[in-house]
Amino acid sequence: MHDNERRLSDYIDQLNAEKKPKEHEHSAADPELQELFHTVRLVRSLREPAMPERNFPAKLVRTVTDQLVPTKPKKKKRAWMASIVGIAAVLALSLLMHIVSLFDQPNIVKAMEKAFQDVNAYHGFLEIVETNAQGKTTTQAKLEIWADKQGRYYIQELEGSNKGLITVNNGQTKWQIHHSEKQVHRFSAFPDPYRFAFELGNEIKEIKQAVSTKTIGEEKAANRPSWVVEVTPQGGEPYRIWIDKETHLPLQKQYAMHHGIQYKITYTKIEWNDAIPEKLLAYHVPKGFQEINQNPEQIVANIGEVNEIIGFLPDVINQIPAGYVQDRIAIVPDKKLVKIYYRASNKEIVIIQGKATGKWKLAPNAMVGKIHQQTAEIQSPVVEEAGVLGAGGSYAGLTDLHSIRWRQNGFEYAVIGHADLEDLVAFTKELTNGAFEMPAKEEPSSSKPKVNVPVDLEQEKNDQKSVDAGSSPWKLDPVFVAQVFVSLQMSPEGITGDYPIRYEDLRIVQNNGKEAVVEVNADNAPIKRVYLKRLIRQDATGIWTVVGYDPAS
Amino acid sequence: MVHINEDSYVNWIEQLCLSTWESVYRLIYFKVQNREEAEDITQETYVRAIPYLQKNRVPPDKQMAFLKTVALNIIRDRWRQHQRRGTTADLEAIAPKEVASEDPAEWSVQRIAIEKALNQLSKEQRTVIELRIIKGYSVAETARIMNKKETTIRVMQHRALQALNRILHDETK
Repeated sequence: MHDNERRLSDYIDQLNAEKKPKEHEHSAADPELQELFHTVRLVRSLREPAMPERNFPAKLVRTVTDQLVPTKPKKKKRAWMASIVGIAAVLALSLLMHIVSLFDQPNIVKAMEKAFQDVNAYHGFLEIVETNAQGKTTTQAKLEIWADKQGRYYIQELEGSNKGLITVNNGQTKWQIHHSEKQVHRFSAFPDPYRFAFELGNEIKEIKQAVSTKTIGEEKAANRPSWVVEVTPQGGEPYRIWIDKETHLPLQKQYAMHHGIQYKITYTKIEWNDAIPEKLLAYHVPKGFQEINQNPEQIVANIGEVNEIIGFLPDVINQIPAGYVQDRIAIVPDKKLVKIYYRASNKEIVIIQGKATGKWKLAPNAMVGKIHQQTAEIQSPVVEEAGVLGAGGSYAGLTDLHSIRWRQNGFEYAVIGHADLEDLVAFTKELTNGAFEMPAKEEPSSSKPKVNVPVDLEQEKNDQKSVDAGSSPWKLDPVFVAQVFVSLQMSPEGITGDYPIRYEDLRIVQNNGKEAVVEVNADNAPIKRVYLKRLIRQDATGIWTVVGYDPAS
Repeated sequence: MVHINEDSYVNWIEQLCLSTWESVYRLIYFKVQNREEAEDITQETYVRAIPYLQKNRVPPDKQMAFLKTVALNIIRDRWRQHQRRGTTADLEAIAPKEVASEDPAEWSVQRIAIEKALNQLSKEQRTVIELRIIKGYSVAETARIMNKKETTIRVMQHRALQALNRILHDETK
C-alpha cells in the first residue's frame, strides 16, 4: 500500500511537470493503481491544457514533411547532375546549404552565444543610417563605443544631434559629459535607462528569444563577408541581422520599414579587448566643468549607518542566492529608503525597503503573488513605478527590468533587477522566510465565470496586430479592458463623456500573466467580477480579452 | 492513387497541420494530460493520417474528424500495447464518413460529473486534490500550505482519489 501511495504521488508529479509518466510506457501491474491514474487524469482535465511552445506548429510541419516527403532534396540534386558544371554547382550548393543550415535556429544562436562567451569587452564605431520611403539615406549618428560584459560602457557621440556627448557607466556611478554646456551630470548607476543601440549582449539575447530565425542569404557588411539572417522577434516586425562569417558575431541590423522610415545600424569597425581602459571608466570632472549631481542616493558603509540616518534597521538576507555578491548599500535620505545592491555576472538586483505609507495598491498590469495571505505585485517587465519603486528611481519602460513588491510588518519592500524573474523570486523568498508564492500557472476551477463571453479569435488577432503597431495600448491593461467592458454593459449604446464606473473602482484580484480576474466595487455596476485572458500572446506585449463575468446579483 | 506534385503536396501538408493541429492536440492532451506525450502523439497522428487522407481524397469537412479518430486510435493502441504488445490501429477500418467526433459538449458533461464528485469529498480531501492536481503544487508545497507532513499528504491524496474513484463509479452505475 505504501508503495502505491508513492507511485501515485510520482505519477501526479510527472503530469505536473508535463512529462510522460513511465507508467504510460510500461503498464502498472496493479489494476487499482491504474484506476487511480485514470482518476488523476480525469481531475486534471478540469485544467486548461498546457499548450506546446510557440514553434511547435512549425516543428510539426517539418517533422511530418521530413517523414512523408523524403524525396524532396534528391529531386533537386538530380536536376543539377545533368552536366559537369551541374556537379560542381551541386557541390557548391550543398556546401552552402550545409553552412547555412549550421546557422539556422537553434545553431545560429548557439554559434553566436559561443562566440560571445569568448568576448570580454569590445571597442567599435557604430553608424546609424535612416532610409525614407523614397530610398533617400541620411546618417543619423556615429558613435564610438566601449562596452564590457559587466554592463559597463563608455559612449561618445562623434556625429549627430548630441555631438560631443559622452555617457559612461562604470557600475558604481553613471555620468554624462556635456562639452557644449561645460557640465557633468551625475546619475545613479542602476537602474540605467540608457541603452545604446546594438549592444551585442542584448542583441544575442533577443535573437535567442526570437520566435524564429532564418538565414536568407549572404552579403558584405562593413566590408566583411556575412550571413544575412531574418529574425522574427516576440512581438514586433521581423528585422534583418548580418552576422560576420569569421567571428560569428552580429555586425549590422536593419529594422523593418515603419511609418516610411527604416533604420540600419552598422559596426563600421569593431575589435575585441580584455577590458575597457581604466581611464575611460574613472569618474572625473574636467577642469572648468560644473558637476550637477542628479543621483539622489548616498552610499553608506554599513547597515548601522542606515539606522542613524533614516531611523530603522533594514532587513538583510541571511543566504545570498548563488552567484550573487553584495555590492553596496545606499540610502535615499529625503525618501527614507534603503537600497542594498547585489551583483552577479552581467546581472544586478536591488532590494529597496522603506516604511509603508498610503494605501497598498497593485500596478494594474502586475501578476499577483502572495505573502502570508497578502498580495505581492510582480511586474515582468516593470511598467509602473508604484510605492517604493517610484521613490527608488525611474524604471518604467526598461524591458529587461523585473520587480516584486510587497508589504510586511509595516514596511514596503521591492526586489528589482536586470535579472531573470527566478533570481528575484529567490531573493524575495529569502526576505520573506519562504512565504512568497508566485501565482499558480493555472487558475483553480473556482475561478470560472458564471457567464461566458464569446470571443472572436480572428478579431483578437487583428487587435493584437494593431496594439503591436502602437494603437489602443489600453488593451494591455486588464483593469482598463474590464472598465471598458463593464461600462459598455451599462451603456450598450456607447460611452460619451466619463465612463459610468471609475478606474479606481476596479481591483485586480488574480493575475498569473495569462489569466486575470478584476473585481468591480461600484454599487451601480451590474457586474461583480470580470474574467480576462491573454489569448494571443502570453507576455507583457499580449492584449487582454474579457472571457466571462459574474453578475452582481 | 492521387498524384500531386511534390511542392503542392508539401503545401497541402503545411496547410492541413497549421489549420488543425490545435484541436487535435487539445483532444490528445485531454486524454493523456501531459505535454510531452501530447506533442509526440500529435506528430504521429499526422504522419499516419496524411497518406490515407491524400490517397482517399477525404473531403476537408471530414478531415478533422478523421484526424481525431486516428489520434484516439493511437492512444488506445498505445494503452493496449502496454498490456499485450503487437496490436496496431487499422486506418483502413476507419470509415471517414462515420468517424466519431469528440464532442466538446461531452467534455462539459464529464467536467460537471467530476466537479460534482469532488464536492462529495471531505473538505480536506478536496483541498489536497485541488492543490496537488489542479493547481499542480508539489507534495512539499502542499504539506506547507496544509500544515501537514509530506507522508500525510501522500496518504491523504491516495485516499481522496480512491474515494473519488468510488463516487465516479457509483455515478455511472
